[in-house]
Amino acid sequence: MWGQVKQALYQSTIRFVTRLASLVPGFVALFLALLISLLLAWIVGMVVRRLLSSMRFDERVSRWGLSSLAEWSPQNSPTLLVSGTVVCAIVVAGFLIGIAAFNSDLTSSLVRNIVAYVPNVVGAIVVLAVGAVVARYVARSVLIGAVNLNLGYARLLSVGTRWLVMVLTVAMALVHLRIAVGIVELAFGILFGGIVFALALAVGLGSKELVTKSLERDAKRTPADTVDEPLRHL
Amino acid sequence: MQVDSVPQQAVQDIGQLDSADLVVGIIADLSQEDTAEVCDALRTLPGNPRIVVLRNRLASDATPTGSAAPVPDSSVSLIPWSLQNPSSPITPVEGMLAAYQSILTIGERLGARGCCVIASKLEHAPQKWVCQLTAPLLETTCDFIAPSYARRKFEGLLNSSIVSPLTRSLYGLRIQNPMGPDLGISQRLLRRLLDGDHDGKTGGRAMRLLASLVPLVLCGNLQAAQAYLGARSYPPSDWTTVSSLLSEILGPVFLAMEKNAACWQRMRTSSPVKALNEPTPAPQTTGTVEIERLVHSFQLGIRDLQEIWGLILPPASLLELRKLARLPTEQFHIPDELWVRIIYDFALAHRLRTINRDHLLPSLTPLYLGWVASYARELETAEENAIEHRLERLSLAYEIGKPYLVSRWRWPDRFNP
Repeated sequence: MWGQVKQALYQSTIRFVTRLASLVPGFVALFLALLISLLLAWIVGMVVRRLLSSMRFDERVSRWGLSSLAEWSPQNSPTLLVSGTVVCAIVVAGFLIGIAAFNSDLTSSLVRNIVAYVPNVVGAIVVLAVGAVVARYVARSVLIGAVNLNLGYARLLSVGTRWLVMVLTVAMALVHLRIAVGIVELAFGILFGGIVFALALAVGLGSKELVTKSLERDAKRTPADTVDEPLRHL
Repeated sequence: MQVDSVPQQAVQDIGQLDSADLVVGIIADLSQEDTAEVCDALRTLPGNPRIVVLRNRLASDATPTGSAAPVPDSSVSLIPWSLQNPSSPITPVEGMLAAYQSILTIGERLGARGCCVIASKLEHAPQKWVCQLTAPLLETTCDFIAPSYARRKFEGLLNSSIVSPLTRSLYGLRIQNPMGPDLGISQRLLRRLLDGDHDGKTGGRAMRLLASLVPLVLCGNLQAAQAYLGARSYPPSDWTTVSSLLSEILGPVFLAMEKNAACWQRMRTSSPVKALNEPTPAPQTTGTVEIERLVHSFQLGIRDLQEIWGLILPPASLLELRKLARLPTEQFHIPDELWVRIIYDFALAHRLRTINRDHLLPSLTPLYLGWVASYARELETAEENAIEHRLERLSLAYEIGKPYLVSRWRWPDRFNP
């Protein structure tokens, strides 16, 4: 009896060691792929950084009106952002190649699925990036416009607008990533409608007195008052 | 050639003329009688020059223009046209800017020795002063005749607070109204003006042309003079449009500043330009300024726009502004030095595109209204001659602050107080 148990344990150990040993080339390949991709990423990253610096990419970006990109970049430098993105892309590609080297059905299909999913991820990132820039632009426009119109709730309007655009952007990105599309659509509808409703309530209720005062002032103001204003700007 | 805003009839009329010595464009709403008197006044110019008068046709005009073709025997040819093109509706300001553009290009096309624009409604009828703007162009080597109007406390504030003192500090020419709107320019200046600018929409381009006048005069070693035209009737201001006014006026001024940086950085002092006639005192306007509302706009800006101003202004300026916002209206006062630094910092941010230009200039509005409040509080009960002193003090502050601008302009990263 003990002999049979010993035999079974021995065979299991042999199988385990054999399987482990069969994985070693895959790990070595993964390690090598990572090493090479890191080296390549470092070289390409450096070349890209130098190229962009020589092109004065940071200045060009701000001249193209994409100054908000700098605010999202490490050390406020779009050059670093672009070179960092290139480095990350090369390292991730190297990692995927290394995984594929295991040459098993599982890893192969995993890599195939991941590669097939990459365009969705890239698309979602682009949607998010564009959405963030647009949200910031629109929020600033609303803020400045509302302050110049002497609206006391300018910041609230601006924040609400930014959230509206961001919610729309995130919903679009999630749909692009094919993550719980049905739930996202439903949640987006509720959230978007909720923000609009909340803004309307906040502005309507919060500024009720302000609006009343403003209307009263306008009603009391005679045409002569308007003419009397002696300021001439132009 | 940009003559889009001139109707076909007017283009045909102009086409019949080979050349002209002087082109006078009347954008202001002048009656037919006043226009006829302007033509009579122009006929008195020595040397019997050939003059083309382009006149804005008014809705109240009795006779349709139809064929107002130039009379060959007359030295003055009157060509009417409408500023508002029915096929492409535009705002009055855009229409006016398009008219500038057309008048100048027609002047160039006809090879005129001078070009004059009458754009303001003045206390004195234009026939009394049109020769002041035109005669020096034909008789002397003067290239730019700028207008000078009777100073009134609360009129032309954008010009008094920014455009004029900034122009003086940058280009060293003490011109009261560097951007007109009434003006006379020589053929030499006209050519340089139109050669240097070929892109952009008509309205924006015309504003850029006006903002380029003084830089071109100074950097091109041309001569400028100033003609006193009396009291001007300013269009009523709507406080809700102040931010778009700031963008429309200051955008081209800052662009011209960027374009001529090498030239203005060499200028150290300012000098007065030749005065063609003496100013006469004008009665002051009455009315109460709502200082409270202006200060409230400023305080609202401090509360909500600090995040944006923080990208444009150095911390020291922001701190001073925060302190000002806490002052009661009776003590509210923006020091000239602070105001000057703010304008210089905005000019620099415009150049560096620190934030989007669509946001930059509108965000100046609460600060500008704050300055107006401070100025109005100071001059509310002041004597007539106090206005000149006050604006002279402001202009000097601009000149004294110029090294700050030059340092920040040259080394924006290194020099950040």
